[in-house]
Amino acid sequence: MDITLRINGETCTGSPEARKTLADFLRDDLNLTGTHIGCEHGVCGACTVIVDGRAVRSCLMLAVQAAGSEVTTIEGLAPDGELGTLQQALWDSHSFQCGFCTPGFVMQATAFLRAHPDAGEQEIREALSGNICRCTGYQSIIDGVLLAAERARQSSRQSSRQS
Amino acid sequence: MAGMVAERYTGASIKRSEDPRILTGNGRYVDDIKLPGMLHAAFVRSPMAHARVLSVDVSAARALPGVVAAFTGADLEAMTVPGPDVLMALLGGGGPTPEFTLLATDKVRFAGDPVAVVIAESRYVAEDGCELVEVEYDELPPVTNAAFALDPGSPPLFANLGDNITRPHSRSEFGDVAATFAGADRVFDFRLDVHRHQNVPMEGRGCVASYDADAGVMTVYAATQSVHVSRIAVATRLGIEPAKVRVLAGDVGGSFGLKIGASREELAAAAASRAVGQPVKWVEDRGENLTTSGQAREESFDVRAAVSDDGDLLGLDVKMVIDTGAYPGMGTMVPDIMQAMLPGPYKLAALGFESTAVTTNKASYVAYRGPWASETFVRERVLDLIARDLGLDPLEIRLRNAARRTDPPAVMITGRPLVGVTTRESLERLAQLVDFPAFRRRQAEARARGRYLGIGLATFIEAAPGPRAPEGPSGPMGMESMRLRLEEDGIVALFTGQMPHGQSHQTTLAQIAADEFGVPFEQVRVVVGDSDVVPFGLTGGSRSATMTGGVALHGARQLKAKVLDFASHLMEASAQDLQITDGRVWVRGDPDSAIPVGEVARRAASGQFGADGADGAGVDANLEVEASFDGGEGGWSGGSHCAIVDVDVETGIVTVERYVVAEDCGALINPAIVDGQIRGGVAQGIGAVLLERSAYDEDGNCQSATFMDYLVPTACDIPRIEIAHLQTVPLDGDVNFRGVGEGGMIVAPPTVVNAIEDALAPFGVRIYEQHLPPARILELIAAADSGELG
Repeated sequence: MDITLRINGETCTGSPEARKTLADFLRDDLNLTGTHIGCEHGVCGACTVIVDGRAVRSCLMLAVQAAGSEVTTIEGLAPDGELGTLQQALWDSHSFQCGFCTPGFVMQATAFLRAHPDAGEQEIREALSGNICRCTGYQSIIDGVLLAAERARQSSRQSSRQS
Repeated sequence: MAGMVAERYTGASIKRSEDPRILTGNGRYVDDIKLPGMLHAAFVRSPMAHARVLSVDVSAARALPGVVAAFTGADLEAMTVPGPDVLMALLGGGGPTPEFTLLATDKVRFAGDPVAVVIAESRYVAEDGCELVEVEYDELPPVTNAAFALDPGSPPLFANLGDNITRPHSRSEFGDVAATFAGADRVFDFRLDVHRHQNVPMEGRGCVASYDADAGVMTVYAATQSVHVSRIAVATRLGIEPAKVRVLAGDVGGSFGLKIGASREELAAAAASRAVGQPVKWVEDRGENLTTSGQAREESFDVRAAVSDDGDLLGLDVKMVIDTGAYPGMGTMVPDIMQAMLPGPYKLAALGFESTAVTTNKASYVAYRGPWASETFVRERVLDLIARDLGLDPLEIRLRNAARRTDPPAVMITGRPLVGVTTRESLERLAQLVDFPAFRRRQAEARARGRYLGIGLATFIEAAPGPRAPEGPSGPMGMESMRLRLEEDGIVALFTGQMPHGQSHQTTLAQIAADEFGVPFEQVRVVVGDSDVVPFGLTGGSRSATMTGGVALHGARQLKAKVLDFASHLMEASAQDLQITDGRVWVRGDPDSAIPVGEVARRAASGQFGADGADGAGVDANLEVEASFDGGEGGWSGGSHCAIVDVDVETGIVTVERYVVAEDCGALINPAIVDGQIRGGVAQGIGAVLLERSAYDEDGNCQSATFMDYLVPTACDIPRIEIAHLQTVPLDGDVNFRGVGEGGMIVAPPTVVNAIEDALAPFGVRIYEQHLPPARILELIAAADSGELG
């Protein structure tokens, strides 16, 4: 089935089989292998991408369902190679180890912080509780997201003072 | 001159060099490999735990458009070399080795056992093909637990064994066991059980195998803990000369012991690639991971403890049975490690140890983070059970029994010296961090209000790598090697057989080498994951901090000496007067003489040896060294953990309110990375107690095949984990980093269980098991109420 959608700001076309998941379409057809597949039943969150502004498990969505949508994957967050505020804070916080769950956490946290820039630790824990990390015990990830939120607030205060 | 002030990387929480690629989706995991003409494998798996295979018909699958090939177990046997499990053969197993095949041929031995493999143009079509494979089974009675496996009447899984015992019963005694028990004031008897649970890395197993028939070379892109162990496995089973197998690995998405070498499915994929002449990818899905990749633990212990009225643990006598699942591998080797480690840091005078390993119709035993961990569970649980009976405080009984640091050191009754062990110090540190009297007051107040809080302590030591043995290297797996080279661009390249899968070796080894050689951290490149260029090695057993950290340090020192020796000709100065700082070689006291190390390497490569470009005959211009390290003085890792839990006696839900660690892994290479290893291990230990179980029904069906049935902890289940580091006893002149990967997982389960029992003390609950989900908590309370326990 022919579909057209926007991925990371660019218009893409493809002809996935009707049964192909969005995750497999991104990885196999578009070579966007940053999106990882961890369970294929919607529990682990490794495959999280942002579809029309919402964090979505790309293993539970068919590619054809994404036709006409705006999709952001991990590759779309730092297209020029410069880490974004969240990625930088996660690096500074030693957030991850093996890195397999990382893209899902980054996408989930990106969507969450956009909607909840003032979130505290407990809200962040709950927002990320649908993503499984087996390496870290989560504390370093939570600390990284908290640091990113704090930096984002600081920079928005600075820019509002300047304007 | 700017930058000449030496900055020390070792000991600082340097940001990881792995992270920029991981955070941007540029990591390269095995499933990201795509080769021209690549096909995909999917396996047909047994729905039965134990059955004879009467027939396998793959003809309909072969006829499906998009399917390129389909192979039965018999096909695979004709394509490969029969033999035992390669890892077992490599490490030396503890018992008789049953012959088994890559795919099931005559029998299936667990639900999920592969019986056929379909190779197709996509994984989707390969799975369609699997649906068309017809297998006829003749069901046999399943052997689903150790008790039945020990019964001589149980149907043997392996005809050549004759029964289901894969490691015959054996008994060892250390000290005078009979006299110790005869002289004890009290003898306690306990039966302790540790349940089956498993690694569950976020990336499962997988490989891409590609055979080049013209060159006779097999290339395997693997997710592995050792490219060389995988290479040996592939070469052995496929009958290829080892030099013609190349194993490559990129980022590996966790393992925790699962990915040592190549699994049956990976070997089958490699054989299939050779047969069809195209690359073949196999990446397991989560269902395969949970039901077939392997599972760990499931041990029972009949424990007798000889104790004085004052609470001295005088001796232990333990009978252990381990259920190693369908295809025996490492499970048969674990009892020996448990036996050696059972005394822990305590001064018991006698140990009797018996063990038996059995095979059952469940997924095979695999190593899981601290495979011998149950020795710590047994010892630390027994101490609390004794303390409760004698009315002693858990801290008091541990301090009473822990060996003091003496010169010469106390020796474990099983033989190893407790040199540098800081158990007492870690317990005392915990007592500073956690106000125990204040907790007891809070606990009493809470109980009065119907809220049940508990505190638990446990302590452990781990041979990571262990004290230097008189007979040889302190590392249990021998020497560690590394090749180091100064490249012409000034990069110091380290070639290591370590295969990191979350351990951050590309950061930590670079920190050590940068300091020792004298270059900026960014100027060290750690090369892993190519069996053609890295020396033999294996990431596992908490060995890399000492063994690989040590070889990086000594190797960088050797390389530096070689570079200085060469530079002495170049700079017309004596090597003793030269130094390397910030990536420049310079004559001490003359900053203007500085030459970048890359320039030195370029001069060496160009053959211009003398200062005037003259030919320097006899000068060694090969700026490369092969280093090896035997572990130096080695040493123990260890520590003590404390958990405070809140048990809701209405719902059975346990909340870990506070978790405090006082640990000693010697000198820290990178504190943030050490903390990450500890927290991750503790999280898995908390998960093991409160959530995780690889469950089977009585027919041998795996009941935990999805993440909705096999529950792993989430961000809401794990508290902040407070960590204090002790770095008390340097043993070696240079290398005092010790392993820290497994300790959290080893000691967290008894810590949490001890805390839960403490919380439930008012009900008289005594706990003899490790898995305590809410339903089990409620059962324990109900049983204690009705007088069945305690």
